[in-house]
Amino acid sequence: MRLRIAYTKIEDARYIAHLDLTRVFERAIRRSGIHMSYSEGFNPRPKISFGFALAVGTEGEREYVDVELRQDMDLGEVLARVQEQLPPGIRLLQGRAMDPGAKSLMAVLNAASYRIRVPMALPIQEERLQEAVGAWLGREHVTYSRYSKKGPTDKDIRPWVKHLEGKIQGDEVLFDLEVEMGNSGSVRPEEVLASLRELENLPIELDELQVIRTGVHVSYEGGKSSPIEMA
Amino acid sequence: MSNNTAADIRRQVERFLPKVLKPSRYIGSEWNVMKKDWSKTDVQMVFAFPDVYEVGMSHLGTRILYHLVNSFPEFLCERVFTPWVDMEKELRDREIPLYALESFKPVKEFDVVGFTLQYEMSFTNILNMLDLAGIPMRIEDRGPEDPWVIAGGPCAYNPEPLVGFIDFFLIGESEEQLPEVLRLVGEQKKNPVSRKEFLKKVAQVQGVYVPEFYHITYKEDGRIEKIEAEEGFPALVEKAIVPDLDQAYYPTNPVVPYLEIVHDRMMLEVMRGCSRGCRFCQAGMIYRPVRERSPETLLRQTEELVRATGYDQIALTSLSTGDYSCIQPVIHGILEKHGEEGVGVSLPSLRVDSFDVDLAETVQKARKSGMTFAPEAGSQRLRDVINKGVEEQNLLEAAEAAFKKGWSTIKLYFMVGLPTETQEDIDGIVDLAKKVANLGTKLGRRNITVTISTSVFVPKSHTPFQWEPQEAGSSVELKQRYLREKLRDRRLKYNYHDMSTSYLEAVFAKGDRKLAQLLEWAVKHGCRFDGWSDQFKEDVWMEGFKELGIDPHFYANRAIDYDDVLPWEHIGSGVSKQFLIEEHHRALQEAKTIDCRHNDCTGCGVCPSRGVQIELKG
Repeated sequence: MRLRIAYTKIEDARYIAHLDLTRVFERAIRRSGIHMSYSEGFNPRPKISFGFALAVGTEGEREYVDVELRQDMDLGEVLARVQEQLPPGIRLLQGRAMDPGAKSLMAVLNAASYRIRVPMALPIQEERLQEAVGAWLGREHVTYSRYSKKGPTDKDIRPWVKHLEGKIQGDEVLFDLEVEMGNSGSVRPEEVLASLRELENLPIELDELQVIRTGVHVSYEGGKSSPIEMA
Repeated sequence: MSNNTAADIRRQVERFLPKVLKPSRYIGSEWNVMKKDWSKTDVQMVFAFPDVYEVGMSHLGTRILYHLVNSFPEFLCERVFTPWVDMEKELRDREIPLYALESFKPVKEFDVVGFTLQYEMSFTNILNMLDLAGIPMRIEDRGPEDPWVIAGGPCAYNPEPLVGFIDFFLIGESEEQLPEVLRLVGEQKKNPVSRKEFLKKVAQVQGVYVPEFYHITYKEDGRIEKIEAEEGFPALVEKAIVPDLDQAYYPTNPVVPYLEIVHDRMMLEVMRGCSRGCRFCQAGMIYRPVRERSPETLLRQTEELVRATGYDQIALTSLSTGDYSCIQPVIHGILEKHGEEGVGVSLPSLRVDSFDVDLAETVQKARKSGMTFAPEAGSQRLRDVINKGVEEQNLLEAAEAAFKKGWSTIKLYFMVGLPTETQEDIDGIVDLAKKVANLGTKLGRRNITVTISTSVFVPKSHTPFQWEPQEAGSSVELKQRYLREKLRDRRLKYNYHDMSTSYLEAVFAKGDRKLAQLLEWAVKHGCRFDGWSDQFKEDVWMEGFKELGIDPHFYANRAIDYDDVLPWEHIGSGVSKQFLIEEHHRALQEAKTIDCRHNDCTGCGVCPSRGVQIELKG
């Protein structure tokens, strides 16, 4: 039986690297006494797969994992037994037995939404904020330089941004951001804000930025749905 | 420093944690972590491992003692590892003190900071960790509010280079000794007596060594004249031994790390001690006698470990697991019970002559990685000198069996610079490597790799070779170059240990108290993580020797006389000096010494002197 499970990756669990997350789930399930299905071959691995990696340190309020079990079981029982074995910060929110032909998370996911909290470097008025966001969204292309070991590469990040909204709360700015994600890449929330600061002269303190991924979605013309619905 | 409550530290650390490498090293909320209430315990200890998290968490002793101390309701034990250089920089820049993983409380607030001494090249990390914790490195600079800084582990058998930094050492096995020490610390907290009075009481615990009450006088040439213990302190500090390993405490709910550690699996300690008697091997001497755990105990522990950890691999650990008398029933018992759940067994530390390739095949079905053999020396003559009872024939048969069963990578471990080594012995390494590779080719195996690794022999205290010098670096490097040249073959791969690190290791392995100032100097000049080749600062160390007028050759390259007083003369492993001298003689005569577990007693002295005995379960 294949299961799709929605979970949180918050508090201390946000420091678990994506590559380590498979082991965390694998061991929790083994401790719960539930038998997983394994891949064939010399080095059989349990069938556990995730969607797009969440950056280390970023909290995820609703992430997803697909797990294949050796036999059919009651969904509620599986969730309860595995939950007991998971470290703090990983809480199972919802699960669904997948249809036999359901596509994997990586095959269906194509969007992510973020909530970003960032302190002001200088006082910003509401009007100034809206102007900056509007101007940035109004651009057809936004070139951003990424630095890697091979040196800088310029990239147009504007096409990936589907939605950006800002509001002021005390001496911080709160952003809601939705981006497209795909095998050809995406844009990181930090990059959008860095570009906003640079191109629209918005004085925000990027060193102290807090990012939460609020969800990942299956987005299509005119709407979006949760991968649980597509399971 | 700013405000340093646990909550402050956590808040500050969380700001930059995503930017450092492997942040889950520093958060301590792993599965099975023990978070106890400070207000409900009498004594708080932090177990300090002087290397990174992945190395420390792989260490069995750390796992045992952490859970052992926490199993007492009146004690609490947390963990701290050396922060990697990026984390150290963040902590220093922001003036955040070194904190313990469980509570985020500063290390300085604990009653006891306990370091484990696994290898000499971690000594600088100890001093650096004290400094990061805000605890003065030198005992004389500390106040009554500072913790007791204690240390144990194999390098405590020659603790002298650390004298001045560590209040007292725990020699031997700590399962019974450490709780006794903590009980005395608790008493001291309630009804304090003078430092000396307290240390006198602690020194009554088996294996406790309080260096400040041992006075060393030197001869003009730098050798030791004599070591004198003050009244009330034992002249010879003899190690603590756990007499009944089967009944000894063993944690079956170990912490399960988030990130992949070096030995990322369950560990089952099948026995302690090794009586093979390899003459270079310190572990083989200091962990005597051999004591095995019963198959019933091990199978019960496996069951509990699987339930509590969720790991899918269990390692049967010991110094020489192939010698464990119940190896077959234990492996089969584990696979029968847990094979279905995908649990596999791994067998580190197998010896060629105890090696059964069928056994390896049973357990390594899944991972045909590589098969490792450690002949240690290239010729039969030299293997006899070191008492490594491996015949070439054994090795070739095992290699042949491995190739036939489908292994394509064979790793061979050797040492260079062993006592009496000649060119012929070095050529023997080349011969053996080529014979193994030719076997593979003859069997029609394509794409085989024979990896030859050589380390540099480091004479260690408490071994028959403790009187031997380390071979000069220039000559070892010639041998390494020669091997590199001769082992050019597409089927062969040659790796070798860096000479400069092994040289420093030799200095500290046989060092005395005078090296303490060098350690302090090195730490102040940026030395740390000396065991990591990308961090090792050879030039700084050499400058330190020059600056302080210390001759490294005196320690590393001098042949010591039997009559000389050794810097560790007052530390007792239970093995008699007479036995070590005889073994040294026999080495030079190329005479082998048998394994006492199945044959007659070889008279090392540990059993009669300590009232213990070899305990076999098969």
